[in-house]
Amino acid sequence: MAPVLLWLIMVVCLLISVVKYVMGIILKISFPTAKIRKDYSYQPTVSVLMPCFNEGKTVYETIESISKSDYPAEKFEVIAQDDCSVDDSYEWMLKAQRDFTNIRIRTGRNAQNSGKARTVCNAMEQSTAEVIISIDSDCIFHEDAIRELTACFSEPKVGSVGGRVGVRNPNDSLITAIQAVIYYSAFQLYKIPENWTRSVCCISGCLFAIRRELLQEIEPAIRARNWFGVPVNQGEDRFLTHQTLLRGYGTYINTDALCWTTVPNTLAVLFKQQLRWRRSIVRDFFYTLKALPEHVWKLHPNAVWTLVLTPLGALVGLLVVITTLSSDPLAWTGPVPMLAALGIGAVLTWVIKRYSAREAVAHPLAFGAYVAWSMVSSLLLTPLALLTMDSADWGTRTKQASEAGVDVGNASS
Amino acid sequence: MLATQAANPAPEEAKTAPARAATEGRLHALHYKLVLTLYRVFAVAMLYLVLAGILAYAVVTGFYAVSTSWAAPVILSASDEKALAFREQLVTSQQTIEDLKVDTQKLQSGVDEMKKHRAALLALEKPLQTAIAREQTHNNATGPQLRALDDEKKTDNVKTKAVLEQLHEVEARINKDLVAGLITKGDAATQLSALNQARSAYTDSKIAEVLLTDNVLDKTTIGTSSLDVLEKQAELRSEAAQLDVAINVSEKQMQEEARQIVRLRQAITTAKQSPYYLSASGGETLYFAFVPYDNRASATVGAPIYDCYLNMIACHKVGEVKQIFTGEQDATHPIFKTQIRGFLIQMNLDANESAKSKTVFLGRKPLLF
Repeated sequence: MAPVLLWLIMVVCLLISVVKYVMGIILKISFPTAKIRKDYSYQPTVSVLMPCFNEGKTVYETIESISKSDYPAEKFEVIAQDDCSVDDSYEWMLKAQRDFTNIRIRTGRNAQNSGKARTVCNAMEQSTAEVIISIDSDCIFHEDAIRELTACFSEPKVGSVGGRVGVRNPNDSLITAIQAVIYYSAFQLYKIPENWTRSVCCISGCLFAIRRELLQEIEPAIRARNWFGVPVNQGEDRFLTHQTLLRGYGTYINTDALCWTTVPNTLAVLFKQQLRWRRSIVRDFFYTLKALPEHVWKLHPNAVWTLVLTPLGALVGLLVVITTLSSDPLAWTGPVPMLAALGIGAVLTWVIKRYSAREAVAHPLAFGAYVAWSMVSSLLLTPLALLTMDSADWGTRTKQASEAGVDVGNASS
Repeated sequence: MLATQAANPAPEEAKTAPARAATEGRLHALHYKLVLTLYRVFAVAMLYLVLAGILAYAVVTGFYAVSTSWAAPVILSASDEKALAFREQLVTSQQTIEDLKVDTQKLQSGVDEMKKHRAALLALEKPLQTAIAREQTHNNATGPQLRALDDEKKTDNVKTKAVLEQLHEVEARINKDLVAGLITKGDAATQLSALNQARSAYTDSKIAEVLLTDNVLDKTTIGTSSLDVLEKQAELRSEAAQLDVAINVSEKQMQEEARQIVRLRQAITTAKQSPYYLSASGGETLYFAFVPYDNRASATVGAPIYDCYLNMIACHKVGEVKQIFTGEQDATHPIFKTQIRGFLIQMNLDANESAKSKTVFLGRKPLLF
């Protein structure tokens, strides 16, 4: 009975994923009204919060891209908050502050290394703007990104808006090529059905806009997040999105608001990043189980499905992979998964090349390697995430910090 | 409400509240610390378990990818679908042999009968040949004589005809004499009758000539009667030839059936050595194992068999290979679960439990311990 139930859940998860992608295509082509009504005349004041940790010169490039935003300069500012970087990130922040005088830039440093979520909260303390945009300090932003995000807040029930994250380095390696395809399909297809009902369950932290009053309401919860006393500093984007939904607001991803991120180009870094994300998913699942009975009737059914089935899919995926490896270990080496991945990859690669040449993948068959990665990620990431829930590091940049030993005094300007 | 309480605390409550809060805080922290410690211990243990599991899986998978000495014990049941099909085929083969035997006997009887008939026909051939030869010899002797006589007869007839030509004048004179009254009617009739007799004799002589010519023709050429005889001879030979063909066909069919019987008997003999037959018919428990073709070199009669713990370690000898079966078998790989081809062996096992092991090893211990 148990294996049947397991397979049934997996099939449901898979089916819903497939249905979501198909629905994404249908909605994208046939239902332009699924998109939000944007009002570009609505121009609230905006604070772009940029938490930073060991990013080096990239911080400067990020601030430079924001400084070129097509948004009234008097209505937005950048607040760069350093979380005690052990490299020269803070110096680059200060240099950006000096160089890009066309916009207002504030910089600050945490008194002690606090993690991204708390760094965002610390940065917010300096802000008085109506809309807060939290960004990643390793991204490059399109000049219309802020304008596109704020235009979506003309719908009063929308609480948080995200942008589309593109890959800056799609052809660095096989790994980046796979990620480029996944990023594109996730934003352009998978999220669309969630967009339709304004119930996106995870807005990317690379470009995350939220109403100030809402963030202030959520801030105590962010600061209080802990795993049996261990502060939780990861997955603040998923947490913020979830909290937005629980407070009755809508969430939306505006795919016209663009930013570009450099994705991991080695397996080790990718693994670390994915482990951090998987941990967020698992943590959010536990939170969903705890909060859902109280909020289930307030949430859109689509949001409930996504909140429950996305992490459940990851958990059941692990069991399915174990079952497969023990019952038919060579099943995944068969031609069907590989051909399916190659086929999907080839189509998506063509679509990306056609509609977003900047992130075009050079080798259309590179996505075939996703089969191997999906096995590794399903098998290892979920158990590792479950067993390292007390982790509180910055993920891919922790090593540098731990090697240097972080204890930097508070500073702001 | 909390603010009101904080603003106006009762004196005793004001004293105890911070202490209670501190105690609660300490308990809370202790609780968290305990849970976290347990979680971390559990997590570390699980991580090591996961790591060990992955390593073990990798080692087992790698081991079976390169091992060439493993065999998978197979328990055969008499009610097994393959065994039942096998027995059915065996019965069918035996029945076919019986049918072929009966058919061969029938054919043999037919051949014997045909041979007798042929012998009888061939026995007629010689007297017929003798009779024909004798007749031909006789004809060769009498034919020329008759031809000479025929020629003489023709000459005689020509002469007779010339004489008969003169009889017309004699007849006219008789009639003239009768009219003239020189002779009586009686004399005339007598004379005319003599003339007619002469003519009749000539006619008879012509007939004899024709008959003689005909006779000569019979004696010197092949006539219809001779052809009749020859036809009879041809029929005789044809019938004998047909019998030859029929006998030949029947004998070949008998030979083929004999070969088929031999083949079927060999097949049955081989089949009786099959593990399915042995397991179905034998009273004692027999042990078999599937050996993939890749491991063929390890499967030799008398090779020791080892059973191991955890699929590959702490191995001990449990028996030896008794018999190797040549028939091809398909089986599922015990680790990779793929379909593989190989053959069965019969094992002499000291430890019955080894028959239930996932794998055993032939020839030597897989890891030397």
